[in-house]
Amino acid sequence: MPRSVLFIEDDERIRRVVSLSLRREGLEVAEAGSGEEGLARLAERPYDVVLLDLVLPGRDGFDVCREIRRVSATPVIMVTARADSRDVVAGLEAGADDYVTKPSVAEELSARIRALARRTRSPGARPRVVVGDLVIAPADGVVTRRGEVVPLTRTEFRLLVELAAERGRVLSREELLERVWGYDYFGDSRLVDVHVRRLRTKVEADPADPAIVTTVRGMGYRLPG
Amino acid sequence: MSPTAVVAPPPADGPAGGTLRRRRAPWPPSLRGRATLALTAVAVALTTALAVGVWVSATQYLLYTRQNVTLAQAVANAAQVQRGLSAEGFLPAELLSQLPRETGSVSLLADDGEWSTTSLRIGREELPEALRTAVARGEPSRQRIAVDGDPYLAVGLPLPGLQDAYFEVFPLHELDDTVRVLGVVLTSSVLAAAPLAAAVGWWVTRPALRPLERISAAAAAIAGGDLGARIDPRGDPSLAPIAASFNATAAALEQRVRADARFAADVSHELRSPLTTVLAAVSLVEAHADRLDPDGREGLALLRSEVRDLERLVADLLEISRTDAGDPDLVVEDVRLAALVGQTLARRAAAGGGSTRPTVAAAAADVVVRADKRRLERVLRNLVDNADTHGGGLTAVTVERAGPHACVLVDDAGPGVPEEERGVVFERFARGSRSTRASSDGSGLGLALVSRHVQLMGGSVTVTDAPGGGARFVVRLPAVDPAGGRP
Repeated sequence: MPRSVLFIEDDERIRRVVSLSLRREGLEVAEAGSGEEGLARLAERPYDVVLLDLVLPGRDGFDVCREIRRVSATPVIMVTARADSRDVVAGLEAGADDYVTKPSVAEELSARIRALARRTRSPGARPRVVVGDLVIAPADGVVTRRGEVVPLTRTEFRLLVELAAERGRVLSREELLERVWGYDYFGDSRLVDVHVRRLRTKVEADPADPAIVTTVRGMGYRLPG
Repeated sequence: MSPTAVVAPPPADGPAGGTLRRRRAPWPPSLRGRATLALTAVAVALTTALAVGVWVSATQYLLYTRQNVTLAQAVANAAQVQRGLSAEGFLPAELLSQLPRETGSVSLLADDGEWSTTSLRIGREELPEALRTAVARGEPSRQRIAVDGDPYLAVGLPLPGLQDAYFEVFPLHELDDTVRVLGVVLTSSVLAAAPLAAAVGWWVTRPALRPLERISAAAAAIAGGDLGARIDPRGDPSLAPIAASFNATAAALEQRVRADARFAADVSHELRSPLTTVLAAVSLVEAHADRLDPDGREGLALLRSEVRDLERLVADLLEISRTDAGDPDLVVEDVRLAALVGQTLARRAAAGGGSTRPTVAAAAADVVVRADKRRLERVLRNLVDNADTHGGGLTAVTVERAGPHACVLVDDAGPGVPEEERGVVFERFARGSRSTRASSDGSGLGLALVSRHVQLMGGSVTVTDAPGGGARFVVRLPAVDPAGGRP
């Protein structure tokens, strides 16, 4: 269950009122009015979740997101104005784990955070899985290739663990959404697709010809058993 | 209008595109039909004039030659009678019988008031009074007469001597037959000219009017909402200047509409930030609702429902204006329709709406459509909300398969949508007889958005009567057979 949230948003009224709502949920909320300030806060101490508005003065949200990804694996939830916009995919490509849309930010966030709480059921009891030269160790929370730790975000790691747990079986996008993000059927399958793409760039020898996370057309994804 | 003239943009006080309103075209509807009709009319007028001219001149000429021949004959016979009368000893009847006559003609002689004739049918009485008196006065005369319905030409010549006159009556029925045949021929030609001219006109106008047809088709497409319609001159030099100016006008119109839509989108976008704050603030206040007195709680409940409506309105407005601005931003994927419908209804039940379970036809249990999941959910939610708000409550939701389509039927318990409003309910801010301002009645954009989204996904939405008497909204989407699924 996340405890601390960093909320990066330039509109002071939104920042204050949403922070109030989140504090009512029992979270500790730090506020930042710009991307630079947010990154500075993040350098001082770690947070469980970063909440990031995409439209920021100066450094925009995508840029800030890429910077966060460069230095940490903290889950980033971006705040977008429209769920159907290209911004969602661009934000996910920049490394965001999930998104919420205005104006129902406070409500959606509560739902997201509850979903995150459900997700943090420890996968520790699961056995190690070896795929090619990749070793997935849920208990240690690491993935290694030839002894080298592969730097994955928490979402990418969970995605890989869920696929490994069902080795040889195809997992549909809906199933993955439910297992990794805690969504029901209405989740946005772009979340799965973009994260699979990003995961492949890290774990595949040739991301263009994936051998570990394979696509089964029209069905979903699978780790070869 | 010269071909290069630029059409002024529509007046600011009128709706854009108002100049392109589809008027009910007079019969015949097509340009080609009208051109053919005009050509036919001209051809018929010309052939009629020609026929009348031919008729008049031919009949006149025939009559004239007939008159000349008969006059010459009568004059020769009159001279012979004259000679016979001067050479004593001949009776008038004998004289008349010796005259050379053409078949059917009759000679008469008035000799001092004594009449002789070569025919029992024609005597003094058959000759008109006016003719007889004119001849008696010494004027050679002729007149058309009818005997027992047959036409004759009577020629009267005064003979030197008191009260003496020679008359000859010539039959005209041959001439009349000729004239009648001519009339029939000419009338038939005129009558035949009409279909012939129509056929020729129809055939000839095709290539000539193709450019105009293309222009009117493009104009109709724009009037129908396809702002991207343009004319392709396709190597037709006569069309090029018109096409260029038409396309420029269409482009200006499109730009204007898109700019308006963008403005609406920007406005609704700007509204999202304050709405975000207000929504969160209302939630915060609600957390302390127990500390409010009943009036305060009622005010808060009102505030919440109004803010919710405002949120819906802004979201709908943003979506509609974005598609108008040409940025639909579709995210298309394979969606299991029955599952999505079930989830939507389950959410409605969870949010405190009535709990309706969808009826799924066996054939539609696994049906998959290529759709934008979020939009499809929106479509269903709007239809269900519409049934709740205007239709006296949702009664049934059915998923079924109809040939290549997957259908969702949404039935309500209301009075139904009257025939004349069925095309209008999907227009923005449509206020049909079903609308009541008393309750919060959505945004007025819900059904417009339904129709827009369904069209974007390649489907259609219609409204008919539900078996139970209310309205039935039918969403049809092209079905795909799921890859690796059952055929």
